[in-house]
Amino acid sequence: MEDMMKDRVEQLVDYIMKKCLWQFHSRSWDREKQNEGILTKTMQILCEEPVKKETPTDKCYWVDAVYLADAFKSRYSWMATLDKEEIKLLMQELKDRIDYLTIKGSLNAELTDPHY
Amino acid sequence: MPYHKFKCSECIPEREKHAVVKGPGEDITSALPLGYLNTIPGSISERGCAYCGAKHVIGTPMKDVIHMSHGPVGCTYDTWQTKRYISDNDNFQLKYTYATDMKEKHIIFGAEKLLKQNIIEAFKAFPSIKRMTLYQTCASALIGDDINAIAAEVMEEMPEVDIFVCNSPGFGGPSQSGGHHKINIAWINQKVGNVEPKITSDYVINYVGEYNIQGDQEVMVDYFKKMGIQVLSTFTGNGSYDDLRSMHRAHLNVLECARSAEYICNELKVRYGTPRLDIDGFGFEPMSASLRKVGLFFGIEDRAQAIIDEETAKWKPELEWYKERLKGKKVCLWPGGSKLWHWAHVIHDEMGLEVVSVYTKFGHQGDMEKGISRCEEGTLAIDDPNELEGLEAMEMLKPDIIFTGKRPGEVAKKIRVPYLNAHAYHNGPWKGYEGWVRFARDIYNAIYSPIHQLSLVDISKEEIPTETKFLTQKMISDMNLSEEVTSSKDLREYTGKYDIISELRGKTYPDFPAQKKLSAV
Ligand code: SF4
Repeated sequence: MEDMMKDRVEQLVDYIMKKCLWQFHSRSWDREKQNEGILTKTMQILCEEPVKKETPTDKCYWVDAVYLADAFKSRYSWMATLDKEEIKLLMQELKDRIDYLTIKGSLNAELTDPHY
Repeated sequence: MPYHKFKCSECIPEREKHAVVKGPGEDITSALPLGYLNTIPGSISERGCAYCGAKHVIGTPMKDVIHMSHGPVGCTYDTWQTKRYISDNDNFQLKYTYATDMKEKHIIFGAEKLLKQNIIEAFKAFPSIKRMTLYQTCASALIGDDINAIAAEVMEEMPEVDIFVCNSPGFGGPSQSGGHHKINIAWINQKVGNVEPKITSDYVINYVGEYNIQGDQEVMVDYFKKMGIQVLSTFTGNGSYDDLRSMHRAHLNVLECARSAEYICNELKVRYGTPRLDIDGFGFEPMSASLRKVGLFFGIEDRAQAIIDEETAKWKPELEWYKERLKGKKVCLWPGGSKLWHWAHVIHDEMGLEVVSVYTKFGHQGDMEKGISRCEEGTLAIDDPNELEGLEAMEMLKPDIIFTGKRPGEVAKKIRVPYLNAHAYHNGPWKGYEGWVRFARDIYNAIYSPIHQLSLVDISKEEIPTETKFLTQKMISDMNLSEEVTSSKDLREYTGKYDIISELRGKTYPDFPAQKKLSAV
């Protein structure tokens, strides 16, 4: 079970790291906001929950989230077999992994530069 | 860390941490070279200087401007006209180059007077141009000429002109990237917010980090206009100086080359709250995703979808023709910065090419994070390579082609590896759907060029084969293809015209009446 979850998370990670750019903003505080904003909204879309998009920033996160949710649904047929709780768990694991790859485990020495 | 040690750089041990191989199971937390550091003495870098990055990469694509260098004539002359950032005003910014021509005597006595005289002369010589960008170089910076004061003096005497000052001398950073940074920040500090634009649409964007290489910007702006979007400014290809002063009024910053222009997007977000949407304009799938996302942002996804459907139907069969002939060919993807990640996965997915190495001359670790994530296993990633490392890598990897700049490209030719110019292109534009097919065609032409095949014979060692007949490109490329592919009615070679940009300039667009009350300034 754990292995299956890990394997599924890795499939989603692979998609994001190859096809997306939003996770690679240049500073750690931006990466935190991007990962949180886009992956939370993706989870909400997949769980058919309401998504905030009133501010320009939220709307921009939502745009990437819509695209990501569509890609996940069309590429990974197992996605349709999950219930909401399972999706939430999967998306939390995905966020932890993306945070690790792009922030906590990142070797990029510029992430903590206080200026742009 | 899976560092790669070049034999030729054994005498420069610091170089080791600048090259890695992405091995099985490696990701960017275990395989990432150092980057954006000063070039190690003894390593003959292929980088440009910070002045070059500011002026020649970012400043000069602005079209309605006199771009003046304050320094020796060589600084500006060396890269004059090697860039192909065209514009729709008869390439004014490419046709003329301006320098104050500092000499030894100015180093001793100062060159501020000379600068002022040059600025006034240039404005008089081109009376229709009222805007200028002014660049510091090493020589003028070292002697402490106050170019801001001179610019202010001229603007006071000639109130109809406006001058932007960029203090980014050659030594102002490890590479041209230091100059990209400086000019981004200088522009937003000095100029953004100075002009109130006329807003003509409900949907307003800045298109940022796009330099109109052989018309790329015009292809993209055509798509945006078809969607009813107002492109307030382009930073900076084919961009207008005054439009770029009004960047603060856009609803969205659509960012293409994050390497050279993310700074201004980040600052626009902090200062004006404008969000930043990173896009990829190269390749069918990334292009479609980008248009769709911009459409979604404004609630006009259907307009984006109409373009995606039409363009894909028209150009996909042509891309597939080339893909069949390029499958499995090995590429060293060695551009300056952002193209290493713009192209790494999509030339693999959509053209079947195998990327065996990526390098960047001036990229930062963030660019390598993107590029290495997008590459397949086994790829050699190099930061700030020197010429010998490039040669050693080519001998080891035996690529069928490399995508790089002019200087390393000519080196590759000497060892009989064809190259395409990743910075200025061969027969661009390469952006957009048709552009992507043009890129595939250029790759095909380079790999299968009959002349290139002849060059593979070393006449100093081998007999010239007299019995072999001349082979055309298609005879060479189709030799091992199945009948099904060669006679396919679904695939076809590129059918577009030589010049696909001129006709865009006179085009009319559908009228999408604005819903909101618009400003008229
Ligand atoms: S390094 Fe200095 S002297 Fe050389 S081209 Fe750049 S600005 Fe000019």
